[in-house]
Amino acid sequence: MILNLMPHLVNGLTLGLLFALIALGFMLILGLMEQINLAHGSLFALGAYFAYAIATPRLPIPPDMLQAWAAVPLGWRYLAAVVLAPILVAPFGALIERLMRRTYGKDPLYGLLLTFGIAMVLEDLIRTVWGTRDYTLPVPRDLSGGFFFLDLIWSRYRFWAAAFAVAAIAAVWLIVERTRFGAMVKAGAHDTEIVQALGIDIGRLRTGVFIFGTMLAALAGVIMAPIWGIRPHMGVDAVVPAFLVIVLGGVGSFWGAVLAGLLVGMVVGLSGAYASEWSLLSMYLLLIAVVTFRARGLFGKKSALEA
Amino acid sequence: MTATPPQTTVQTFTPTMLITWALLASLPLWIEKVGLYQYLGVEILIWATYALAFNLVLGHAGLPSFGHGAFFGIGAYAFGLAQFNIAANLWVCLLAALLAAALAGAVVALFISHRRGIYFSLMTIAFGQVFWFIAMKAHAITGGEDGLLKIARLPMDIGVAAFSTESNVALYYAVFAVFVAVSLGLWRLVHSPFGRVVKAIKQNEERARFVGYDVWAAKFATIVISAALSGLAGGLFAMAQRSAFPDVMSLHYSGYIVMMTLVGGGLVSYWGPVIGVVVFLLARDLIGAWTTSWMLWFGLLFVILVMFRPDGIAGFLESLRRKEPPAPAPVPASDAKGA
Repeated sequence: MILNLMPHLVNGLTLGLLFALIALGFMLILGLMEQINLAHGSLFALGAYFAYAIATPRLPIPPDMLQAWAAVPLGWRYLAAVVLAPILVAPFGALIERLMRRTYGKDPLYGLLLTFGIAMVLEDLIRTVWGTRDYTLPVPRDLSGGFFFLDLIWSRYRFWAAAFAVAAIAAVWLIVERTRFGAMVKAGAHDTEIVQALGIDIGRLRTGVFIFGTMLAALAGVIMAPIWGIRPHMGVDAVVPAFLVIVLGGVGSFWGAVLAGLLVGMVVGLSGAYASEWSLLSMYLLLIAVVTFRARGLFGKKSALEA
Repeated sequence: MTATPPQTTVQTFTPTMLITWALLASLPLWIEKVGLYQYLGVEILIWATYALAFNLVLGHAGLPSFGHGAFFGIGAYAFGLAQFNIAANLWVCLLAALLAAALAGAVVALFISHRRGIYFSLMTIAFGQVFWFIAMKAHAITGGEDGLLKIARLPMDIGVAAFSTESNVALYYAVFAVFVAVSLGLWRLVHSPFGRVVKAIKQNEERARFVGYDVWAAKFATIVISAALSGLAGGLFAMAQRSAFPDVMSLHYSGYIVMMTLVGGGLVSYWGPVIGVVVFLLARDLIGAWTTSWMLWFGLLFVILVMFRPDGIAGFLESLRRKEPPAPAPVPASDAKGA
């Protein structure tokens, strides 16, 4: 029994870590700025598309330079994609933050609407540039393929991705909890006026948080691309689980989100064992069940979003 | 409800209402002369009905739903399924669409009537995704991604005579009759004592509760009525399209109805959503004529609008009108809103 469920449990666990990774950037912007960024999924998708352009390579640069780059081993190109794609997506985040400034202090609904509009624009921009077809992000041989364990085939990349998610979660936690930037950000979320009175530029701080969240979204896109494939719709496929994980975990709670990610992954993984067609439905039902009894999710604190 | 809201007299028919109806009633006569086509008129009326129903929740009650596509879609499927399994009668099928969506609305409202603001939005997204997912996966009932096909345009039987709705112009007038009924009914509802309670909840839920209104019941009823009428519009849409697809239940389409309502100015004006629908569908056809990525441009317009004019086109027109003659006496709030 347990042995039969093992692969589903492991799949659920890795999936859960990846959900948490997808939700990280969304969580930072929501928890620290009290802004819902529905364009999170589009930034996630942009990260995947940029990574594809870098790794395949399909860059808009002179042909001889492109040829030279294509001759570089895939491992290096892949590494470059992981590092560069989030940096290339960062300006989009900065731009969104610039546009969002007009909605600060207003009903959070306006931020939601604004970013929904931006998500529509970015999705159509992706369609215009790359078309509607699916792409696959090539993965270096050391990370791809499968291996046998307990008479079962396991996908190697999933474990790499999950390990990467753990590292990213730990890094974000360290940055938020152990650096001066993190302290300023948390203080800014807590009391804007006092932070300004202490001489910190709150505008720049918000831009910084938004860019950080954007890069995390793009990074999640690069990591998820080999698993989900690259297509225009992937933005929506990512933003819905992201918000779901945050609401389930509770707005403003870091470990709540990580735990919720794992919980969602496990539920999807285990329900996949019995009804694979319907497994994604289980996460919505989980959210509705939990939020019906705990209005603020598992570990949520009171926030401006309840007004 | 223990307290009784203050009674104010509201006109049954207003000039704006009559002008809107007259314009729409004459639309089939001139729409082809301006280079458009008859089916667009049908679409405008159906989406306008839907947008008015949606605005009961967004504009009048201040509850931002991002999952309304579910009710529209459920109405469309119910219309088709009733036609195949119960009776191929227009009234039976429309009633089925209305009731199915009302039932779904009641189930959702049970869970979310005590929520507001962003949490309300997030829960409606979750419910919207649940219904969309079911529509996609329940092949046996909904036909999955292929949709429900071969839905007939049923004749409009009014006892003494039956009118065919096969042609787009005939269908237009059938839909127009529903639009007039819905827009008049909602107008009455919004200006009824119940409507004033809903408005009070929008302004300050806490205060409305302390005054003695049953806030939960009022929100529940608002969501159910809005869902039912959205389902009715969905039923008409299934008939117009001769099919029902899960697309209209997706997060995208649920967002489109929010866009339409907001662009038109649903937050400040009763007829705003109708303006929004016309602008949205015209933009789709006109921008879509020279580029396949029309949403790119419309989305940009929407972003600019949310940034600078969140009260939409109707709000803009209102501010123009208010600027011209320096208003000598303050107009009662209910009249100003009614324009």
